[in-house]
Amino acid sequence: MAAVTETSPGVLGGGRIWGTAGLRTVSLLALLIVTAGFWIFFAAFARGFLSDFNLFGLFRFAAIGILIGFAQMVVLSIGDMNLAVGAVGGAAGMFAGWLMAMGLPVLLAALLGIALGCALGLCIGLLIRVTGLNSFIVTLAAASLITGALLILTQARPFSSLPASLTDFAQVELPGTPISSFLVVMLLIGLGLFIVYRNTSLGREMLAIGANRRAALMSGLAVGRVVLLTHLLSGLLASVAGVMSIAANNTASPGLGSDWVLTSFVAPAIGGTLLSGGLVSVFGTVIGGILVATLGSGLLLIGVDNFWLELCLGVVLLLAVGLDRLTRTVGGATE
Amino acid sequence: MIAAVRRLISGPALGLLIVDAAGVVVLAAAAPAFLSTYNLFVTGRDFSIVLLVALAQMVVLALGQMNLSVGAIGGLVAIVESDLMVRYGVSIGVSIAAGLGVGLLAGVINGLLVHWTRINSFILTLGTSYVFAGINLGLTHATPFYHLPGPISGFGQARTGPFPHMALVTLLLTVALVFFLARIVSGRQILAVGSNRRAAELSGLPIARSVVLAHAISALLAAVAGTMLMAQLGQGQPTIGATWILPSFAGPIIGGASLSGGTAPVLGTVLAVGLVSLIDDGLVLVNANPYWVQFLIGALILVGVMIGRLRVAGVRGFLRLARDGKEVGHDAVRSEPTAAIGGRRQ
Repeated sequence: MAAVTETSPGVLGGGRIWGTAGLRTVSLLALLIVTAGFWIFFAAFARGFLSDFNLFGLFRFAAIGILIGFAQMVVLSIGDMNLAVGAVGGAAGMFAGWLMAMGLPVLLAALLGIALGCALGLCIGLLIRVTGLNSFIVTLAAASLITGALLILTQARPFSSLPASLTDFAQVELPGTPISSFLVVMLLIGLGLFIVYRNTSLGREMLAIGANRRAALMSGLAVGRVVLLTHLLSGLLASVAGVMSIAANNTASPGLGSDWVLTSFVAPAIGGTLLSGGLVSVFGTVIGGILVATLGSGLLLIGVDNFWLELCLGVVLLLAVGLDRLTRTVGGATE
Repeated sequence: MIAAVRRLISGPALGLLIVDAAGVVVLAAAAPAFLSTYNLFVTGRDFSIVLLVALAQMVVLALGQMNLSVGAIGGLVAIVESDLMVRYGVSIGVSIAAGLGVGLLAGVINGLLVHWTRINSFILTLGTSYVFAGINLGLTHATPFYHLPGPISGFGQARTGPFPHMALVTLLLTVALVFFLARIVSGRQILAVGSNRRAAELSGLPIARSVVLAHAISALLAAVAGTMLMAQLGQGQPTIGATWILPSFAGPIIGGASLSGGTAPVLGTVLAVGLVSLIDDGLVLVNANPYWVQFLIGALILVGVMIGRLRVAGVRGFLRLARDGKEVGHDAVRSEPTAAIGGRRQ
């Protein structure tokens, strides 16, 4: 459970570091137990839940969802929001798909798609920095601009003749296991983020800015630069998810990313990342994303009407956030 | 009267009014069909519905909070009403009363949960929006309720000349909202709580009541919007409200609302929604790609907000704020639209 200490919010948020760290361990443990509980339940009652086929799909879906969650998490860590994760991811996926349809090598096209995502993230960061406007407003507008431009440019037509090598990558699994290649990529990226927050000054600065932007500014941190880099990072993560999605769906459709914005908050929020900034949990986001994917897959299999899935998601989200809130209030570590 | 004029000049309202007027003139000149009775009716009807959605968000923004469940509530209400009418044969009046009741209840739940748990309203209403949308889908299984009673679909098409009868509902609610926020104690308290929660608390204002009231009003406005869209479509579509998030924020934000609370620029919101409707209609009339709407709304939000800041801070102040990386955002714009509603003094 080393993941718990990664942020040491007490250093930045003032006081009660031990209590907070301990409580966060409890919260994460509770989340793990709940997730494990659902796994046991579905393994017992949902026929085919543990089949390789199902687990492979579950892990692949979870990997993409967690990456989208990461894209939101990094921005939340500085106390900002990014309502353009879906637009950026969709644009990156569509661009990569278009390049592939034009005959570019898959790897190059994927990298160029991700580069576009980074550039869009950078533009959003610049816009926030130059105008000093609230990130909510800037990314709301940016999402609308990017999605609009995408639909105008593509005439809302999908690119469906993607090269086999791309869609093959989406089918790769670790030998003898149902673990998708996507899950491995996601875990590596998660490890990278973990190291950034734990061991690098950039990560520390992000959390400091999230905990108290004014104090960080007064302490001489280059707030503008960190905000810029964070939004670039968010664009990078969203576009990796976008490229993975076109590989998994076997098509680059212009609707890609349109339903990401709200779900992007779910995994970080369940995992204990604060919306107000200064506190992230990479591990919690991973578990949160797995819980969401587990519910989706398991409920479908036991024949609970798929339509009730949203209801369950909402209840789980509210319970998780409420519980997190409760433990922190009881621990006296609020605000 | 003088206060009204000053309000018009100080906020983004005057600029929006000029742009709106220019838009009408340009559209009338470029596309003669714009002034046709039927086109005005259709545009006015869309405007009436979107305005309610935008006001539903504005009321909660006045509190310094957000309501991501406006769309989910509008959709749920439309489904409850059409379900009662179509499947259970309940009379129109009772169905609509029940639907609006459900909407009101949803808002009260939002408000109570936000107040009790102190969870960020963004994440909390995100959670409840899943719950409301889930109930909607669970009830309908994503298939619409067709064959609504005649008077309902009739109301959706009813007009006097180019004037949609629906607009009357919106007009009444808008006037009532202005009166409530400007003249009624509870309304003033919502703005006070949004402006400075701590000060409001220390002054002994009823925080809980203000929070619940704002969320309840927001939900009720969304519920009426859902009902009107159901009447317009002539069927209970489960997708009603699914795309309301962007327009709900675009109206108040372009209209000069502050995300940090304490402002309720009703006039600005009305004019901003009017501008969006004009753009929407104009693109249809000139046969442009309809996807430009989304692009232009995004551009409008950015430009509108930046002009607002420039006007308040001046070019030099604007650049200085930006260089310092301060996220003053709307706070700089905040002082004036606050004064917009009757010049609050405490």
